[in-house]
Amino acid sequence: MASYCRPHTVSEALAALANAEGHGRILVGGTDLLVHLRKDPFAPTVIVDIKSVSDFPPAVEFGAEAVRFGPTARMSEISSDPFIADHLPALGASARVVGSIAIRNRATLIGNICNASPAADTAPALLVYGSTVTMTGPGGERTMPLADFFVEPGQTRCGPDEIVIRVDVPIPDRGHRSAFQRLTRRRGVDLATVSVAAGVDADGRIVLGLGCVGPTPLLTDASPPVDLTDPDAIEGAVEELVSITTPISDVRAARDYREAMVRVLAVRAVQAAAAASEGVSS
Amino acid sequence: MPDENQGHSSNGPVASTDRVVGQRVHRYGGVDRVTGAQRYLSDITFTDAAHVAFATVPVGCAAIDAIDTSPAVAMPGVIAVVHADDLPQPVARFGISHRDRPVIATETVNYHGEPVAAVVAETEDEARAAANAVVIHYTELNGVYGLDAALADGARLVQDPSVRPGDDLNSTNVLEQVEYAWGGVGSEGASSHTIIEDTYTFPMVTHFPIEPGGIVAAPTDDGGIEVYSPVQHPYLLQRTIAEVWSIPLSRVRVIAPDPGGGFGGKQTPRYEPLIAFLALKTGRTCRLVLSLEEAFQMMRRSGCRIHARTGFTEAGELTFHEMRVDFVVGAYADVAPRVMTKGSYVGAGPYRIPRVSINARAVLTNTVPSCAFRGFGAPQVGWATESQLDAGARALGLDSLEVRRRNLVQHDEAFIRGDYEARADGRWHESLEKAAELIGWHEPTPLGRGRGISVGIKPGATTGLSQSLVRLLYDGSAMAYAGTSDMGQGARTLWKQILADELGVDLDLITIISGDTNAVPFDLQTSASRSTVFMGNAVLAACEDIRDRVLELYAEATETPQSELAHSPGQLVTPSGAISLVEAAQTALGGLRGEFVGQGTSRLWGTKGHPLGGDAAFYEFNATAIEVEVDRATGEILLTKHVTVGDVGTEINPLQVVSQDEGAAIMGLGHSLMEQMLFDEHGRILNLGAIDYRIPTFNDVALHMQTASVENHDGPGPYGCKGISEGALLCTAGAVGAAVADAIGTPVRDLPITAERVWRTIRDANRDSPD
Amino acid sequence: MTDSSVHPTSEVAVAVELNGEHVHATIPAHRTLLDMLRDDLGLCGTKRCCAEGECGACSVLLDGELVNSCLVLGAEADGGVLLTIEGLSMDGVTDLQEEFLAAGAVQCGVCIPGQVMAAEQLLQTNPDASRDEIRDVMSGNLCRCASYQRIVEAIQTAAAGRRTDA
Repeated sequence: MASYCRPHTVSEALAALANAEGHGRILVGGTDLLVHLRKDPFAPTVIVDIKSVSDFPPAVEFGAEAVRFGPTARMSEISSDPFIADHLPALGASARVVGSIAIRNRATLIGNICNASPAADTAPALLVYGSTVTMTGPGGERTMPLADFFVEPGQTRCGPDEIVIRVDVPIPDRGHRSAFQRLTRRRGVDLATVSVAAGVDADGRIVLGLGCVGPTPLLTDASPPVDLTDPDAIEGAVEELVSITTPISDVRAARDYREAMVRVLAVRAVQAAAAASEGVSS
Repeated sequence: MPDENQGHSSNGPVASTDRVVGQRVHRYGGVDRVTGAQRYLSDITFTDAAHVAFATVPVGCAAIDAIDTSPAVAMPGVIAVVHADDLPQPVARFGISHRDRPVIATETVNYHGEPVAAVVAETEDEARAAANAVVIHYTELNGVYGLDAALADGARLVQDPSVRPGDDLNSTNVLEQVEYAWGGVGSEGASSHTIIEDTYTFPMVTHFPIEPGGIVAAPTDDGGIEVYSPVQHPYLLQRTIAEVWSIPLSRVRVIAPDPGGGFGGKQTPRYEPLIAFLALKTGRTCRLVLSLEEAFQMMRRSGCRIHARTGFTEAGELTFHEMRVDFVVGAYADVAPRVMTKGSYVGAGPYRIPRVSINARAVLTNTVPSCAFRGFGAPQVGWATESQLDAGARALGLDSLEVRRRNLVQHDEAFIRGDYEARADGRWHESLEKAAELIGWHEPTPLGRGRGISVGIKPGATTGLSQSLVRLLYDGSAMAYAGTSDMGQGARTLWKQILADELGVDLDLITIISGDTNAVPFDLQTSASRSTVFMGNAVLAACEDIRDRVLELYAEATETPQSELAHSPGQLVTPSGAISLVEAAQTALGGLRGEFVGQGTSRLWGTKGHPLGGDAAFYEFNATAIEVEVDRATGEILLTKHVTVGDVGTEINPLQVVSQDEGAAIMGLGHSLMEQMLFDEHGRILNLGAIDYRIPTFNDVALHMQTASVENHDGPGPYGCKGISEGALLCTAGAVGAAVADAIGTPVRDLPITAERVWRTIRDANRDSPD
Repeated sequence: MTDSSVHPTSEVAVAVELNGEHVHATIPAHRTLLDMLRDDLGLCGTKRCCAEGECGACSVLLDGELVNSCLVLGAEADGGVLLTIEGLSMDGVTDLQEEFLAAGAVQCGVCIPGQVMAAEQLLQTNPDASRDEIRDVMSGNLCRCASYQRIVEAIQTAAAGRRTDA
């Protein structure tokens, strides 16, 4: 049966995880954890509720060069924040489609990436902005690019005795624009079938973050500069970039549909980004 | 957005304001429902109840080799662990048309989720933990999970022939088959200008009631049992328990709390005999509350594959229509054979067709037993027939509304011919024209959009028996006892309205009692949109019975000759003028007070030999028109307009008519656009649960939606009403399919019409005709 | 009860302000807020359907915010302020609930407490919501009777009424 603790400091939280000997599960929003608990209610899960930890970074902190998100940053705050809407529009848009209002009131950004679903809605945008993840654990703090953080479905580089304490999202240069596109099976609340975040810089270089087309959320390399007024040029660049995808067939869609849709959505995301006025996107 | 057109309209006469019937009376029980006070089964407290959980195996078809209950028995709080060997042998089987469903899985597991063992424990957690600890040794068998597998030569039989002794088909997976034909066959090609031949599929979908349901059984001191279950048919459950465990009906009390959504899924007994056994064995009140996943494994609609061949004259008149229809009914019969016979009976639609041939089969597979579901087979078969009409219209270059106009029968014209013909009991062209008008059929379709119009028909109940008691109390309040289950359709609101008008009693002074076989007289069932007609007539008759009795006693009490008295709704007419019925009743009852008890019965005998057991009391007819916008790159569909028109006879409560019509129409969008149960190669449901089984949300409703009624007061129910609760779902798929085909130029023949299917259809069409 | 800040416990003592009253419960660690409300505190107005955050039937307000009580542990609610349908209805049927009845929004009724909680939160956070916004915000609350049009109408009418009263 499960047990529960509510540490008040990072060190208490780390101690609780260490004592749990691999059965520890960090609880903040709980929107994924409780679904797992329901499916496996008899496991000796040690629930470490870190919402009362007082020495975490604040939920959202706006620095000169980056926006820093702490463990308690929730989707509802991110989706309604005007600075994020202006400077990280693909992130704001992707946070806005995470579940329902009730889910967004609980679900956290860090929880979304730590769940390590290939369908994590905010992951493509975070990847496009070049976000980094910082963990703390018995061996101290370590920081890595988000692109290196995901290992496989449900698996990240965060160890069982570590806690992700912040995600830093660099604020793009002026001239960088971005947009988010998502395909779902219905118009109301749904998980993504395919999702794409696109970033374009002032020189027309395109970077894509891709969801549901590989075992983890994927980040492409940057394309060479592309004439963003030329649909064929965008299409060609996208075709190159999406070659890294390895979609599968599952209950939400067949592989060939995902292959086609990642292209459609990527082109649309690039076009939406390109059409956005500087620093502000759709 | 044209908001001014939202809502509901009717062409009927405005109800006179002094009658309650015809008014937008708020739902009976509504206040409890908006405040959370309504007690559904799982909200009822039972002192000292034990809890039940099931152990299952993770495949759809398996031989049970051995069951080790010892780890479970040893767990805390466990009272009993029961499997087939612990029941009286042979394990009883039950069912309506076929007694094929065992009380608990015996020897084999025939679908994913079938209970193999049941644990009774002190708490829910303990019951679940112990169920998890039961070790079931099983060997997976070569189950048949689809039509082709089930019908293949040498296919494994879902049911051992001994389960269906004497049945010619018992060495096959065909449970039942039926043929409807008229006009002869063979020469159909000669009179046809165009022949359309295609295959259509309709998915298995599940009811997904927001109340998954549950059962509580409590042994009584007299050796009987009380069973609480949110069922649509309490009296069928009472009979089943009585028969399976040999208890007289008088000692089986079924209490049926209002179902939190039924839609056909809560009609028949499934686990009640098992829970009753556990209660009798342990002497404890046993409580099972189902999860949504368990509800998925208990109820679904038959999937269907229809091969159709249809002839048209150059002018679009139908010359013949042939169908081969296979329903995927699952592991046990439930009411699926009836779904098959009734749905395919109207398979040729409400049309004038000289030659028809329909061959339908109910096919067993190792999947959740299918049951009734709003529409009862008609949506499945109608999907194919309506799509054929559209294909014909496209091939002939005709307007699809015009094709329907030319073929739709007129009032009193036969649309089913042969020995047991059926005639149109409504002026159905009025509904068709109204739907066309509401969607603006003759206005140009905006660029990138498509429109479709479709009609649907469903036979109402073909036999029936509803009994009601009404009591008029001395103080002018009244009670009605009516066994209809109030599962969302608002039945009790209607009985209240009828009593108010017929007895002249204030709405607030009326109480309706239902859901208890110890208190309420017999009602056959709550299904087939029958209740407003059947129970409505019974309640009406009970009210008239009371007025007769008031008249008689008033005559006696006041020494007035009966011949000088007459009654009318709410009134007694005396030589000195009309007085209210309540005043007359009080005068008649005098100083001893007392009350009047009226009894009403509504009975429809069947017709011997009729393929449905009798003529339908009425037909539900609906016309639906839909406009969509299709994203050709992704296949996504945006519903821009959705209108439906029902032939309702009379709206007894316009508020409830619009709720039911909109609800049915939106539910129809589910199987049309997104819903489908998916199975893996082991017969497991892949999308078991709300995360991956998608139903329509607020955002999936059309941007503009409108429902409307045609009222010709031509139904067999009170004040000329007909049943209405299924109509708006009957032809949703046909209208969506036609609209999508109109938008993309190619039809999609498999439901649901997901974005992926639309994309695939467009891609394949482009491959076939490179430009 | 040991100190739960560091040492995990399988039973948790929870104190909440529930519908204006201070209540206590001792519950297993894995028990959801939904089950705690229904099974431990006897408030069954909050309904259970999917139990995984997809249907909204269990919607309540926790510290003034709409949550799915099936996705919150009872333990997490400790120290919190809870409003359930029973609390909302404490002084009788509200204007919003009245509009639900008048619009014909109530059919089987199981989803309705959750719909009312979500709609009340919507009216309080965005009283001028458009029809599209209402549909979007309410999309986390499923209604299988599909009273969606009726509920939107009820919310719009209630919103208009509150604007007039304001």
